[in-house]
Amino acid sequence: MAEPVIAVAGLTKRFGPVLAVDGLDFSVDEGQVCGLLGPNGAGKSTTLRVLVGLVFADAGQVRLLGRPVRPGDAVLARAGTMIEESAFAPYLSGARNLRLWWEAGGRRWEDADAETALAVADLGSAIDRKVKTYSQGMKQRLGLARALLSAPDVLVLDEPTSGLDPGEMREVRQLLRRVSERGATVLLSSHLLAEVEQVCDHVVVMDKGKLVAAGPVQQLIGASGSVYLEVTNVRRATSTLKKVKGVTRVTPEPPGLAVELDGVKRSEVVAALVHAGVGVETVTTRHRLEDAFLGLVGEE
Amino acid sequence: MVAVFRTELVKQLRRPRTYVALGIAAVIPIILTIALKANPPNPASGEEGFFALAPNSGLFVPVAALRFMSRFFLVLLASLFAGDAVSSDASWGNLRYLLVRPVTRPRLLGAKLGVSALFAVLATLAIVVVGLVAGVIAFGWEGISVPVAGLSQSAGQLVGNLAIATVYVAWGLAAVVSFGFFVSTLTDVPAGGVGAGIGLYIVSQILDAITSLGSIRYALPTHYFDAWDILFFGRGPNAEMLRGVLLQIPYVLVFCALAFWRFQRKDILS
Repeated sequence: MAEPVIAVAGLTKRFGPVLAVDGLDFSVDEGQVCGLLGPNGAGKSTTLRVLVGLVFADAGQVRLLGRPVRPGDAVLARAGTMIEESAFAPYLSGARNLRLWWEAGGRRWEDADAETALAVADLGSAIDRKVKTYSQGMKQRLGLARALLSAPDVLVLDEPTSGLDPGEMREVRQLLRRVSERGATVLLSSHLLAEVEQVCDHVVVMDKGKLVAAGPVQQLIGASGSVYLEVTNVRRATSTLKKVKGVTRVTPEPPGLAVELDGVKRSEVVAALVHAGVGVETVTTRHRLEDAFLGLVGEE
Repeated sequence: MVAVFRTELVKQLRRPRTYVALGIAAVIPIILTIALKANPPNPASGEEGFFALAPNSGLFVPVAALRFMSRFFLVLLASLFAGDAVSSDASWGNLRYLLVRPVTRPRLLGAKLGVSALFAVLATLAIVVVGLVAGVIAFGWEGISVPVAGLSQSAGQLVGNLAIATVYVAWGLAAVVSFGFFVSTLTDVPAGGVGAGIGLYIVSQILDAITSLGSIRYALPTHYFDAWDILFFGRGPNAEMLRGVLLQIPYVLVFCALAFWRFQRKDILS
């Protein structure tokens, strides 16, 4: 069996009296897109910092691409990293920042995957402007570009869509899918659970520095789906839906209904309602991961 | 090491602050020369010191500029280059990105230290070279002979001693650079490292003025800071200058060792 691309075993990190990470274990296999979830202060950023050699573990071990992570290790050349906000030398242009960052690793600019990176940055002529003139979103895109310069085998991203507008967020999601399809492994932390649900196939949930749950997204949220419907006649809709095969639960949530599905398509549910003479005004997919996450970490 | 040194060098070279600092270092000797030319010190007034002697030879203008600027301005510049070498990247949040490359921390720190030292030397050279050019244009390339002041040197001797003085002054900044650099690894506030370098100089100067401290003063990093005066009064380098050179070594070793030791163990949270 192949060794995981990311392997965290017994990771413990304390900052003074604060136990930031407490005996954390998880792994991410090759090609997976794994979301690292947890409320503020759960220890996500600390875990990611240990993973790329910025923070030293007090106990436990972290392996990246089969090697123990040490600051400056050669294995970091195969990793693309974005930790919290993207930051650059403000008086240099975006292009100059990327180039100097790359060349400091002892590599020629010609060997960088600059075409992909600059396409991601999508800064146009602004790439030659000083970074201090950039918006937060532009810096974030430039940060993603930097992480992709090496066509990395593994991407470690901390809140990669922070500061981006909805269109840019969608582009980042598409980008992560393309990176994954290329065979790269992605570990990303995000507060946006809907985003994680769309992008990730696996999740690791942390709370108070400890592992709460880990596994495939579908396993975590259950195999069943859930939709919220607003209909013209709630009573008739409820009785109709209870007869539809694959509808496991119908719960009134005024002004509509929450419907749990198991093996039946949303279109079939809507068709059954229409056939019964019930008008369907709204069909909304529920953020199932959000429900599962809040259940795991005990938050309302 | 070469790659990371080169990129750190380019970063410094493209930083507006660098040009401003080196520009001021270069402009002051020009202003000094113009002032001496326009309003020469009156020998009858009894005015003494390097400024009074400068109009006797263009080669003495850089000596006067070096004396004038080494006493604080050069210390300020050296502290500026060394004191924010690491902390400026930390303050921008960029330090973590410098350290997720396949570049070890000692290599990055070594490159930053080298660049800081290089620019401290460049600032010293800017003062001397610009002062030399401006001085020669204004007062000519010739030796100097002022028996009253005990000063008599040919042009060749002046140039040779100026070169020695330049190296001595630049090396005399080593303790300040090392201390500012060390503090730069401890803080995310650039002013902290800069202030530390200047602070070391000021404290050392104050303590050095307290004669009752006795032989302790001989271990202060700035005690021999002005010992290069002797070069221009016909006696050449002496034991005081040698002690001044040697005294910097333990400060450099201790502060640099602390910087490397600390930085290798530091959690990068900024």
